[in-house]
Amino acid sequence: MFYNQKLAIKNTHGYQLSAISYQLFRIVFPAKNNLRKIHFVILLFICFFSLTACKSANQTAQTEVKMRDIADDLGRKIKIPEKVERVVSLAPNLTENIFAIGAGDRLVGVTTFCNYPEDAQKIQKVGDTMNPNMETIIALKPQIVFVSTASQIETFTKTLEANNITVFVTNPKDLNGVLTNLRQLGEIFGTPERTTILLNELFERIAAVDEQVRDQPKTKTFVQISKEPLFTIGKESFLTEIVERAGGISVTKDVATAYPKISKETALAFNPDVLILSESPDNTEPNDVFKNSSAVKNKKVFKVNADILSRPSPRIVDALEQIAEDLHPQTNDN
Amino acid sequence: MLPVLVGLLIVSLLLAVFLGSENLAFFELTESQATILFDIRLPRVLLGACVGASLAVAGAGLQSLLRNPLAEPYLLGVSNGAALGTMLAFVFFSQFEFARPIFAFAGAGAATFAVYQMAKSRAGMNVERLVLSGVIVTTFLSSIIVLLTSLLDAAKLRSFTFWLLGDLSQGTKNGFYLTFVLVIIGTVILSSQARALNLMMIGERDAFDFGVEVKKVRLIVFAVASILVGSSVAASGSVGYVGLIVPHLIRLLVGSDNRLVIPFSAISGAIFVVLADTVARTAIAPRELPVGAITALIGAPMFIYLLRRS
Repeated sequence: MFYNQKLAIKNTHGYQLSAISYQLFRIVFPAKNNLRKIHFVILLFICFFSLTACKSANQTAQTEVKMRDIADDLGRKIKIPEKVERVVSLAPNLTENIFAIGAGDRLVGVTTFCNYPEDAQKIQKVGDTMNPNMETIIALKPQIVFVSTASQIETFTKTLEANNITVFVTNPKDLNGVLTNLRQLGEIFGTPERTTILLNELFERIAAVDEQVRDQPKTKTFVQISKEPLFTIGKESFLTEIVERAGGISVTKDVATAYPKISKETALAFNPDVLILSESPDNTEPNDVFKNSSAVKNKKVFKVNADILSRPSPRIVDALEQIAEDLHPQTNDN
Repeated sequence: MLPVLVGLLIVSLLLAVFLGSENLAFFELTESQATILFDIRLPRVLLGACVGASLAVAGAGLQSLLRNPLAEPYLLGVSNGAALGTMLAFVFFSQFEFARPIFAFAGAGAATFAVYQMAKSRAGMNVERLVLSGVIVTTFLSSIIVLLTSLLDAAKLRSFTFWLLGDLSQGTKNGFYLTFVLVIIGTVILSSQARALNLMMIGERDAFDFGVEVKKVRLIVFAVASILVGSSVAASGSVGYVGLIVPHLIRLLVGSDNRLVIPFSAISGAIFVVLADTVARTAIAPRELPVGAITALIGAPMFIYLLRRS
């Protein structure tokens, strides 16, 4: 009785539905005193299901929208809505990019790794990049899910597309890739003015760095991704290009893969002039093998925040400027 | 037999020192080449030898004690106890180098004690029950490790997860000194119990009738195995299959007299890990493989071959 009165006050479909269901239920299964608890639990279940049923019925009715065609970075032809209002990002750099082109307010789900900009931390988390929670994503009803690695796509696409959610694969791999990705996102979200301003600013800053290091000798640089075990950047890492652009040369540029675990012997034999540490809790100082190297002796050890260094986002230009400044400080005086 | 094994050990140590991702001009070393040889390569090779010897001796001792050819530090949860201990030291006391081996001993000892308590019954120690308890403790501890790796800060544990696979590149000189002292003491102590272990292989009751202090021997073997496994896990993570393969091969060659099996296992374990690590260092140089992957790659097929032959 008590429950019914309370529920009847609210005049929504969901509550009415649950109240009616519960009444029906009580007629069919009259309660004895000791069964009260079970009844309460069943009542809760009925409430929950009827509420969610009403909620989803309301929303599906709204989603009849115009579509347009677009190709993603894997070359897949996909359809996206004319007006993109709700998206989920499954990579921290894509979250940063979406905020940068002025569409951060349309992100309804991000990963636990997405810690920048600050506003991204307030958005609902859908798991991490490698293990996103499908149920959470689908419940958020995004129009597009942005993923950064092709390895994710196989498993996700089927489930998501069965729920009318488009999967957009975009994987900026270098400085140019970041710029292209930003332009692409500007088109998708319909924010061309903001995007153009951003791109022009980035172009200018990159050109300034190019100017700054043009006549400088290439500095032999070792990028330490992790102190122990010793990980560095290899042939396939975009950081190899960033180091070069900043007026250096990555001593491990010919080592296979993107982030190889490198032999300490070889690392020492490269005899780098500068060490750059990707700064994270386990990587705040050079590996012990470098303790007598010229880079450490000449105090040429620099730290760049790991988030800035590892994400192909507009902040990679910050990293570029910082590395250029570290490698060739004297040019900053003029 | 002994001269042959010692000769092989010397050859493999020399081979390991000569081979590496950098080619060194051994007779005219430059300053940086000397650093590479004496500060990086040599300590690593020697650490590998000590780790291999520790694991093989621990395996040989446990197999005789439990009269079970499958008994191995891993099967009994000793390795996982050590791994969990090291992980806790890693998270809470990362600045103290010696917290790792101490926590690893504690973990290995606690795991062994737990298995021992679970397996003990009024009727005495039942071997099947012991092995089952070991499996339960092992899986329980690995689930705690998995739980911790999911809960804790990813950046802090990145190096740990690599280490978990068995990685000698993170070894230090202090780690080598510690494992070296412990493996010598451990091998001597276990060898001194070899006669008692031989009798216990017939059966614990028979050994008791022959005047063997069964409980004392058991305690000694468990303690020594915990310390050996603890120190090697703390130094280089979980290098698998050494404790299983090496004593088996030795028994195949010299029979099951523990007075020979235990010291020979020590030497052969050292040879096995030193060679495996040489492969790990040079196969895809200048990149590196975890040595645990190599020992498992060689160990697993070899084990199947041995099983089918016997």
